[in-house]
Amino acid sequence: MARLIRTEKEVEGRYTEQWVVVEEDAAIDQWPAGPRETVGRPVPRVDGYERARGQALFTADVALPGMLHAAVLRSPYARARVRRLDLSRAREADWVLGAIGPDDCDALTLEPGFHGEPVAAVAVDSPGRAREALELIDVDWEELEPLLDPEEAVRRNELHEEPRRYERGDADAAFADADVVVEAEYRTQTVLHNPLETHQSVCRWEGDTLEVYISTQFIWGVRDDIAESLDLPPDRIRVICNFMGGGFGAKNGAHAQTFIAIALASQTGRPVRCALSRREENLATGNRNSTIQRLRAGARSDGTLVALEGEFVNAVGWKGWSGPTYGPMEMLYACENVRTLTYGAKLNLPPNAAFRAPGFVEGTFGLECLLDELAGRLELDPLELRARNHADRDLADDRPYSSKNLLECYRRAEPHWARRDAVRARSEGPWRRGVGLASQIWYGGGGPPSYAWVRIGSDGRATVITAMQDIGTGTRTAMAQIAAEELGLPLDRVRVSLGDSSRGPYASISAGSSTTPSMGPAVRAAAADAARQVIEIAAQRYHLEERLLTMQGGKVVSSDGGSWPLEEVTGLLEDAQILGKGARGPNPTGMRVLTFGIQVADVAVDVETGEVRVERIAAIHDVGRVINPLGAQSQVEGGIIQGVGHTLSEERLVDPASGIVLTQSLDAYKLPTIADVPEIVVELLDIPDEHLTNLGSKGLGEPPIVPTAAAIVNAIRDATGADVRSLPVSRDEMLRALREARERERAAAPA
Amino acid sequence: MEVLTPRSLGEALRIKAERPDAVPIQGGTDVMVELNFDRARPPALLNLNEVPELRGWSHENGMLRLGSGLTYTEAMALSERLRALAEASRTVGGPQIRNRGTIGGNLGTASPAGDALPPLLVYGAEVELAGPNGSRRLPLQEFLVGPKRNALAEDELIVAVYVRPLGSRQTFMKVGPRNAMVIAVVSLAMCVDEERNEIRVSFGSAGPVAGVVTAPLDEADDLPQRVAEAASPIDDVRGTARYRRHALQVLTSRALVRCLT
Ligand SMILES: Cc1cc2nc3c(=O)[nH]c(=O)nc-3n(C[C@H](O)[C@H](O)[C@H](O)COP(=O)(O)OP(=O)(O)OC[C@H]3O[C@@H](n4cnc5c(N)ncnc54)[C@H](O)[C@@H]3O)c2cc1C
Repeated sequence: MARLIRTEKEVEGRYTEQWVVVEEDAAIDQWPAGPRETVGRPVPRVDGYERARGQALFTADVALPGMLHAAVLRSPYARARVRRLDLSRAREADWVLGAIGPDDCDALTLEPGFHGEPVAAVAVDSPGRAREALELIDVDWEELEPLLDPEEAVRRNELHEEPRRYERGDADAAFADADVVVEAEYRTQTVLHNPLETHQSVCRWEGDTLEVYISTQFIWGVRDDIAESLDLPPDRIRVICNFMGGGFGAKNGAHAQTFIAIALASQTGRPVRCALSRREENLATGNRNSTIQRLRAGARSDGTLVALEGEFVNAVGWKGWSGPTYGPMEMLYACENVRTLTYGAKLNLPPNAAFRAPGFVEGTFGLECLLDELAGRLELDPLELRARNHADRDLADDRPYSSKNLLECYRRAEPHWARRDAVRARSEGPWRRGVGLASQIWYGGGGPPSYAWVRIGSDGRATVITAMQDIGTGTRTAMAQIAAEELGLPLDRVRVSLGDSSRGPYASISAGSSTTPSMGPAVRAAAADAARQVIEIAAQRYHLEERLLTMQGGKVVSSDGGSWPLEEVTGLLEDAQILGKGARGPNPTGMRVLTFGIQVADVAVDVETGEVRVERIAAIHDVGRVINPLGAQSQVEGGIIQGVGHTLSEERLVDPASGIVLTQSLDAYKLPTIADVPEIVVELLDIPDEHLTNLGSKGLGEPPIVPTAAAIVNAIRDATGADVRSLPVSRDEMLRALREARERERAAAPA
Repeated sequence: MEVLTPRSLGEALRIKAERPDAVPIQGGTDVMVELNFDRARPPALLNLNEVPELRGWSHENGMLRLGSGLTYTEAMALSERLRALAEASRTVGGPQIRNRGTIGGNLGTASPAGDALPPLLVYGAEVELAGPNGSRRLPLQEFLVGPKRNALAEDELIVAVYVRPLGSRQTFMKVGPRNAMVIAVVSLAMCVDEERNEIRVSFGSAGPVAGVVTAPLDEADDLPQRVAEAASPIDDVRGTARYRRHALQVLTSRALVRCLT
């Protein structure tokens, strides 16, 4: 029976209440912990060969007959008014097939608020000629004074929303009583997503249906965005994304390029591709905004945290949202008295977008560095300090955790942490070595609604059908494993069909570390439903009791000895098929579903040139049951490599006077290369969350990037005594921190 | 766009004289970037990859002759003879760039960050240029006339670079914002010239052209200071002027340790 329930939905820390319909999935018990036949074992990607051979079709590969290419005219100024926009020369040129301005498309504007905001667009039959056609657009710009300084924006009350205030307990009283108080200001820089595949869409009208091929993290969100903006019935929009070249949070919606392609497709009657160049990607598709964090921590001399306080300024940009930079401070430790104040500054800078644990990456850097400064003042071991302040219950929402094994993570971190004397002893010449650690907290529980179907044909092969997307994390493989496990089939007899809103049921967004925990339980429920039907059929055919039958090793097996190959059972059906369906059940009510972990970093610092090398990172995370240890390890490695980039070399720079973005190419914007990648040791606890769904799995996309910067910077402190408080740790910043440490030492030394 | 592919140096020079607007291309690792970013639309490319006279290296009258088409990968194999150049070559780009990119192309681009330039400058290298009326040789320092500007006439080609082998007391160092594939924040080459009893230092990315500082061997102590003073760095996306001066001083001290002990 369908069940209507009211449930809480969380995406990247934002909670909403919603109604969902769930199938009564006859309470499927979780599998026992530990590796199973397929689930919990390392499996190479089911689409690995397709990808390696270049056969996987990404949106970048979609070429439809008669397709045109769009080029976008973007504001060269951080703030401007278009006095006159004249498309007539473009419209008159016979080789220019489409030309649109703000009258034709809401994604275009005459009052751009950031460098790179779209103003007009054209469609021509080749990408190169489309760019040339932009020269036929006549624009009369009035350049305006941009607002670029976040502190100034706060003073002028130029904010995206009312300042967010949070308080529990009595922070003032607790600070007054504290034995030790430390405070510091931390800054994080703006960083860019840089997925391999840039933002792109190909749009085509097929009769009254709009087809949208798009590189996206959320097929259904794109459908809904378009339906709402264009006032179309959602079912007349078909969204397709079979293979996807990464998004890191920047591709959660339809985005300007889709609306531009739709408007040009409508105007020309032809399919239109709008694909951003790398430079456009690094200008206008989002970023992790910079932050300023003024933090204070008060503790008793035994290390008990009695008060935490933070003022956070998120430099959000022209559009976007003020992220939960305060999250770690409110959630990570068992501190009774916490006060935070958060501003989301509205600036003439490109908009932010969710980026792999938005807010928490930034907030963890500040909080976890401050904690090590506190440990230093208290002369307490940093790992011990964290263990002493472990939260057994969530204090922010006053709820129990659905599962939490952070202390076990800390215990597993001990051998890595214990290496630090040996690591320090390897310092030589100007190279100082040290070890640092940082704790991690983040969401990742997923939630309903999400659906899957499983189809078994007479050949005894199964197909999982759901209109989800695999954004490159390997969820296609994980879903195949879950279905194979439940059906007792070898993995090569399960296929996964995804990526098309008209060929499968509604599926979750791939953001907030939610794909596996949202989709996995639905896939398992669908497979269980199909398995039940197979067993019912076998029981009737062979005159057996259903309760004696299971599916194992590609067979229907009876506990009293008999077994029948699956294809023999399903072979009875000829062209008929077995169809199972499954829905994601609700999250446990009244519980906090979170992920936890710790990372331990070894670094070497050249104290003369300020060069920092990360030599090793051990990552220990608690994300519930691990479906594919191989895929999970890749996620951790990717998160850490991206985290190393955020810590050491990546920074989007703008000209401080004009607001022009200076780092548009990958020549100027320094992503880490393989030579910057440390040795990475991955340990996943693999303890199922007994309260969470029929799987007990949480997500892993984001947790690994959360503590990396803080662990590295704490290791730098361990190596050199210098307090780095600003990211990235450029050589300049490293030398500044070293000078400051030397001066402090000199001032402290007895005369 | 036309692509002209001569099979000999003579043919290449004839074409260049007839079509001075044809842009020479060797590895293409600078030229193709210009085209790709739409910063240049030359009417023709003069592809020099099939000109045998530009390839490889040889001994000539006690000098080493490096063909302008010598790639960084090839230069890396010269570490016995030209250690600083080999070390510099190892830091250029990634393997693909080192397989394609050439010393001659680095001279053609004449960027203040060109990594082949400091080693060649401390060697006192001479550049051989050829045009319709024969060839001429020019000290590298005179060839580099400004940021991304050189003394090449529009009908000339870079044929080779000549260097005198100087023994093994030489080195190259580079600081970049990450560990590989970087344009230098600063770079530095040093060599000891025992015949002349002097130390020569050259630095990149810290002035409009790669700079050169020379000192008698017994005045080595002042060198770090002198190099930092000789530089005229600017602030840019890769680093600040202040940092560059500081780093040059550190690199010079380290290079002295490597070359003198
Ligand atoms: C990803 C990447 C990384 C890089 N990293 C580095 C680095 O670390 N360090 C560094 O120094 N450089 C680097 N470069 C720049 C480039 O690789 C070097 O400058 C290289 O030496 C250029 O050589 P090329 O043969 O590819 O030159 P080309 O691109 O073929 O030519 C460069 C210039 O020289 C001219 N030219 C070429 N041959 C001749 C000739 N025979 N006569 C006259 N003119 C000629 C061309 O017309 C052009 O102006 C990098 C480039 C890329 C794309």
